This record gives sequence, structure tokens and C-alpha cells, in this order.
Amino acid sequence: MRDPRNRIWAGLRRGVFPIRRLGIGSLRVALVLVFGFGIVLAPRLVAAEVGVTADLTRDRINQGEMTELQIRVTGSQQADPPREIPADGLQIRLTGQSTQVQMVNFKVSSSVIYSYIVMPLRTGSFTIPGVNVTVEGRSYRTAQLSLTVEDGRNAAPPAPPAAQAQLPMPGFQRRQRTAPQRPDAGRLAFGEIICPKRSLYAGEMVPVEIRYYFDGRYPVQVLGRVDFGGEGILVERFPDPKESREERDGQTYNVLTFHSLLSAVKPGPIDIPPAKLQSQIQMPASLPGFDDPVFQQLMGGQPGFSESKELTVKTAPLHLEVLPLPKEGRPASFGGAVGQFDIDAIVSNPKPAPGDPLNLVVKIGGRGNFKAMGAPVLTGQEGWRSYPPSDKFDGTDELSHTGVKSFDFTLIAQEPKHASPGTEFSYFDPVSAKYVTLSTKPLPVNASPGGPAPSPASGASASPSPSGSPAPSVPSPRALVAQGEPLPGLTLRSWKTPAYRTEFLMASLAMLAASSALAVILYLRDLRLRGGGERTRRRRRIAELLARLESGEGDAASFYDAALEYMTLALSPSPRFEELTARLSDRRDRLKYGIGTSRPIPDQERAEILASLRELSATDHRP
Amino acid sequence: MNSRILTLLLLLLPCALRAGLPEEAASANAALSAGRPEEALNSYRTLLTYPQFRNAGSAELWYNRGLAETKADDPVAASLSFRRALLLDPSLVPARTELSKTLLQLGVPESRAWNDRIPASLPPETLVIAGSLIGWGGVILFLLVFFLVPARRGVIVLSLLLIILGHGAAVAGTWLDPRRTARDMAVVTAKKAPTLRATPADSADSPGTLAPGTLVAVLSRNGAWWYVSGGQRLSGWIPSQTLTPLLASRDSS
Repeated sequence: MRDPRNRIWAGLRRGVFPIRRLGIGSLRVALVLVFGFGIVLAPRLVAAEVGVTADLTRDRINQGEMTELQIRVTGSQQADPPREIPADGLQIRLTGQSTQVQMVNFKVSSSVIYSYIVMPLRTGSFTIPGVNVTVEGRSYRTAQLSLTVEDGRNAAPPAPPAAQAQLPMPGFQRRQRTAPQRPDAGRLAFGEIICPKRSLYAGEMVPVEIRYYFDGRYPVQVLGRVDFGGEGILVERFPDPKESREERDGQTYNVLTFHSLLSAVKPGPIDIPPAKLQSQIQMPASLPGFDDPVFQQLMGGQPGFSESKELTVKTAPLHLEVLPLPKEGRPASFGGAVGQFDIDAIVSNPKPAPGDPLNLVVKIGGRGNFKAMGAPVLTGQEGWRSYPPSDKFDGTDELSHTGVKSFDFTLIAQEPKHASPGTEFSYFDPVSAKYVTLSTKPLPVNASPGGPAPSPASGASASPSPSGSPAPSVPSPRALVAQGEPLPGLTLRSWKTPAYRTEFLMASLAMLAASSALAVILYLRDLRLRGGGERTRRRRRIAELLARLESGEGDAASFYDAALEYMTLALSPSPRFEELTARLSDRRDRLKYGIGTSRPIPDQERAEILASLRELSATDHRP
Repeated sequence: MNSRILTLLLLLLPCALRAGLPEEAASANAALSAGRPEEALNSYRTLLTYPQFRNAGSAELWYNRGLAETKADDPVAASLSFRRALLLDPSLVPARTELSKTLLQLGVPESRAWNDRIPASLPPETLVIAGSLIGWGGVILFLLVFFLVPARRGVIVLSLLLIILGHGAAVAGTWLDPRRTARDMAVVTAKKAPTLRATPADSADSPGTLAPGTLVAVLSRNGAWWYVSGGQRLSGWIPSQTLTPLLASRDSS
């Protein structure tokens, strides 16, 4: 059993019906608008006066055209309009809804507009009966409306703008530098219509191709639009034609190819009249005295004069057999979709805040009659409050035959929910001649209703949850206030972020000063423990050595050691310094490695050394 | 002795400043609960003119004022009040809920950027203060360990981590705080959607309109015209009287 979501994404990967990148911003705006107008205004407008009106966007149309019926419900968001409106000779089907909000004199009013597509089944004057709309349990009825459907073929075709009418089709004004010939009027232009199916189901979209061939020797101007249609069929708007050249029976033709889609609205045989195109061909003309070959030679081989000839190029008529959609096996969720489709569903915000809406987006992709397609049906929506979806279509071809239609459902949880509703969508597949039902499974969400939070003393929050998940945390007193009720208390807070506040800067500076002071204190303490700095320790050592030299304690070798260390620490190098150092070192070495190491130094020798040291110190400037 | 009296006075000053405020706020709340939003709204407006609110605000008060404006059918003003309440306390869930509803009603898309959602669960002020405390604690620990502990490599690494994490959190909190950029933000409070202009002139080309309640960034000011960006590449000049600065310290009326 295939997963519909896999199918649609596989299709997307293959590029069968690639989705254009949606503008997320615009999608959110649309969601917010629909949700906001549908939900937030609803309670406020309950007391507003309810009104239901109906209007036609166009009350006079040509055969083959459609018009829109709008039922506007003001003063309430909870209306229940019919999905179809019975009217003789017309097919009227609900296609969607929109909401408008107005603010006049500080009063907000909203209205919901339900749009119906009106498809005429024949020409004539019709009366659309009043429509019963149930609004908040009360029934309202709209006024009757009149609609006139004219035979567009009899009516004068809309005159194209003058400038446009004079502009030839691209490439259709090229003059062929050939010898003038008297054209065969019968083969100057002709049309063909190609429809791959002669038997189709009501509502099925069938591609149709209309080709107009024009003699390639003469420039052509196209006047107006293709006139194609008939009773009981709907033809999509013709996009710009494709231009080509084609040779047939030895004759070169300029070809205009129009593509469109047609669908039938009622079963039975249908004869569609020929598709017509008004055109103007510039043909060579001969005037007396000017058809001389010499004169034509002077004109570059072209005829000296031309004349315009208006032509109505026609195709052959088209006969179609329209089959009714079978009533047998029609699913309840069938909403008029005919074609081949896939389905996918996503939840754009699976964890909304309590009371906030959840958006379930159902995407129907494929090929078929997207315009007449109804919305999917929600399944398993107990505990959810839902609103009619908004829809958006992204076509992947210029005829909107293939693409993806997104239906955005706005859902509000009425109780804690961990799964979204599922969806079901049914369509009729004309290839297999069967109804197909697609569905999406509920998606994991985490939604809870708004309103007052449960009391901490209630059993729901006091006892552990059945699933073994951790019990919800006890809400703050502020969260216990009922929704819409004012919050008690006043807490003054600054409009500035802490980093920009004076007290924070002062505190930071204080911390910086305290850290610096602590660093200094700890450094000094460490210094003291290590006996101070190097200079202090040197001075202290010098003083010790001097005292030792002056006292004469110890043996002679240690005296000379002390004298040499004193010189190193206290005196700067100089010639006299070097001389004295060499003398003292020599003496010390002789004492150390000779005889008399342990005897004290004689007083006279000590006095001489001290005098030399003092003399040297007197001339020394070492700090 | 004198220093003790001064300290006591400093401690009592906030209480003295707030004297009477809770009672008046409670009275306004009672009026709102009783279904008299206009009366409550007047009381809130009066309260917000008190000098205590010159450089400070109360999230509760702005939330309650927003409720009153909602009930008085003024969703545009309510959206501004709820935004201000969230500016002061991003974790105020009721204000976030009411703002969502109001924006839905106005048809204004709500920002779902991650840097707008984080403050709701991680208050920036808490992040800044706690981060600073941890960071400075790391500094002191580093000094003590460096000078006093002989075998100290592991503890020094720990203290350096505390410094980096703590002060990093403080910087992140400052960056996430919506009040940091609120100075240049404004809300469209005109009742009718004002038209953006390509140049500051009424006759200039219009790139679009801004829905009432939209939060915009004020990029430049030129007299009575402000150049604003409304997101989605929608920017232009707009009359300044159609906007109200988001920071209430400039406009608390």
C-alpha cells in the first residue's frame, strides 16, 4: 500500500508537478488573515447585526463564460452556506471563501464572502433563486438574482484596441520576395482543431489545439481573438499562440497554434461550432497600366500595389460525447475533482502556544480541474475547532492544468491534542473510470486549548500523566489568571537592556575594581612570601655581605668568597673592578687549594680589602 | 549613624515611589473585569503618566491596558500595548497570546524568527545578570587559584571556562534583548493603512502600504517623514504621525 505522501514527493522529485517556491511571507499573511478574521473577530462580533446578501460579479455573460456569485455574510463568522445551489440551466458550486474586515469610526466589522462559480448550461435568461444560509442557528435567505447568457458568436466580437489591431503578429508581416501571383482564395488560410478525446466525462479537462494556416507568401494581421465555444462546454482562456512555418502540399504556410482546455458541464452529445479567427491578409492588387512586367521589375519584383482582404478562418466543427460521472461508488468526500491527483499534508506549526491556532496544509498535486475542485475533508477532528480552508493554486503550465493546490485549514485545539486530524480527498479518474480516495494520516502535534490554566491543586496536574511523561510544571500565578482577565501586581522594569543601564555599568566597574584590587593584594602577598622583589633581595644580600666582611667572621677563603660576591652584586665592571676581582680570586684560590684554608683572615689584610672595596664603591654609580 | 539612615532611606525610596500605584492599578483592573474598558483605559493612561514610568514600565500594566484597548475595539493600540508588555517581559505568555490574536485580527504576520522566540523561554535580563555573576565569579576564582593554589592547572581551566561562558552569556543576553533594538522600532498606529513613498513626498511613487499594527524598523528620520522597513523587502518613507515608537519611555501617553 503506497503512502500518498511518498507519491507526491516522488512526483515532485521527478518534476512531474514541481511546486514553485511558495512565498512563505505571503502564505503566513494569508493564514494570519484567514485565521484572524475567522477566529479572533468571531466572539466580538456575536452581538453584531447579521446580514446575508448575494451578488453576481457579472449579470450578463456570453456563452462559454463563467461568472461568480458571492454570498456575503456580515456580523458573523459562523455561517453554513450550501455547497451547491440548484438553478435551472446553471451549475453553481461553492469554490471558496474569503474574509473582509473594515474599520469605520473605530468600529471593526467583518464579513465572510462565499464564492460560487456559475457555469451556464445554455443561453438565455436565468433566475438564481434565493439561497438559504444558516447563520448561528438562524436561517437567512438572499434575494433572487438574474443572469443573462448570450450567444457570444452572434454578438459582435470585442473590438481590439486600435493600436493592437493594427499590429501584425510577430513574423506575420514579412513580405515574400516572390513574383506576384494571383492567390487561390480557397487555400489562403484554413484552420484545424485537434482534440485527442472525442468522449470525455463531465468536468474532465481535455486539451485542445487549434491551428490556423496562412499562406506564407502574404503578410497577415490577426484581428481579435479566437472565437471558440458552445453550449454546455467551458473553454479556458487562450494564451498567446505559438508561431511556426509548415509546408503542406508544396505550399508554405505560417501557422498560429493555440492551446487550451475544454470541459463539458453536462452529459450528452455536444456539437461545438468551428473555431473562428478574424484576420486580414495583404494581397497583391493589379491596377490598369501598373501590371506591366517592366514596372514590376522596377519595384524589385514585387507588385506595385496591394489590397487588404479580411478573412474569417474557421476550423471544422467538433463533436464530443460527454459521459456523466457515475453515481455508483461516489465517495462522500468527492468534491468535483476530475483528473489524477496526489495528496500530501504538513502542519506548519506543530507546537503552537496554548490557545493558538494550528495550520494544517493539505496539498493536492497532479493534473485535472483544479478550479472546480472542492476542499479535502477532515477526519478525526473531534476536539478540534476548524474553519473552512483558504486555498492557493500554483500551476506548472500556462493553462493551469497541472500544479498543486494548497488548502490551509486553521484548527484550534479544544482539548490537549497530540495528533492533527487526518484528511480525505476523492476524485474521479477518467482514465480508469473510477473514483479514487486519498487520505493523509494524523500528524504529530502538541496543541492545547487556551483559557485558564488548570489549578495546581487539580488532579490533572497533581497526578502523573498516564503515558508516564513528566507531569506538567506548576504554572506561575500569572498563568493562572483567566484569559482576558487583567494581571494583578506591578513590576517595574527598565526600558533599557541591563548592559545599557547605569547601575549595571557601575556594578561591572565595581567588579572590575574589586578584581583588580584582589589581584594586587594577592600579588603583594605572594611577593612578600617570596622575600620581596629582586632588587630588594640584592640590597639585602649586599648588606649581609658587607656586615660579614666588616666583622671578619669565618675563615679567609669564605671572606674572599663574600668579597667577590659583594663586588658582583654591588659594583659595576671597570678596569679597577677587573683588577681587584682578579686579585681577590687569585688569593681565594690559593687559600682554598693551598695551605691555611681554615685560618681566619688577618686584620690588616681584611682592612686593606675593605678599603679597596670602599674606594671602588665610592667611584661606582650602580644603583 | 548617618550612613545607616541614608541606607534606610535608599531602601525605602522605591516603596515610597510606588505608594498608591498598586491601589490605582487594582481599581483599574476591577473596572476592566467589570466590563468598563473605557474607564479602565483612562485609569491606565493616567497611571502611565506617573514619574515612576518615565524610564521604567510595568509589563502587567501594559498588558492590562492592551486588554482594555482590545475590549474598547482598538486593536491597533492594543497591539502596541502588548508589544510593550513583551518588551518589558518577553516571558509574559498572556501578552504573547493576546498579541497573536490581535495581529491575526489586524491581518499582520507575526514574527516567528528564532531570535524573537528565544527571549520568551530564556529571559535576556536573567541571562545578562546571571552570566555576569558567573563571569566575574570566574575572574575571582582565577585570581585566587593563580596565586594561592599550587597544583592549579585544572582549576584554572575551569575558571577560564566560567569567565568565557559567563560573560558570553551576558553578551548573548544583551544581543537577544528586544529592548536593545527597540529604540529604532515603531508600530503603525494609524487607523488606515498608510502608504509608503519612494521619496518623502505625498506625490512620490508608492511601493505599498503598511497594515495598522505592523512593527517597522525606523532606518532614517527626515522631519515629518521617516524611512521605515516593514520586512519582506517593503521599505519607504512614511509620515511620522502614522507611527508610534515602540519604546514607551518616549511616549507613555
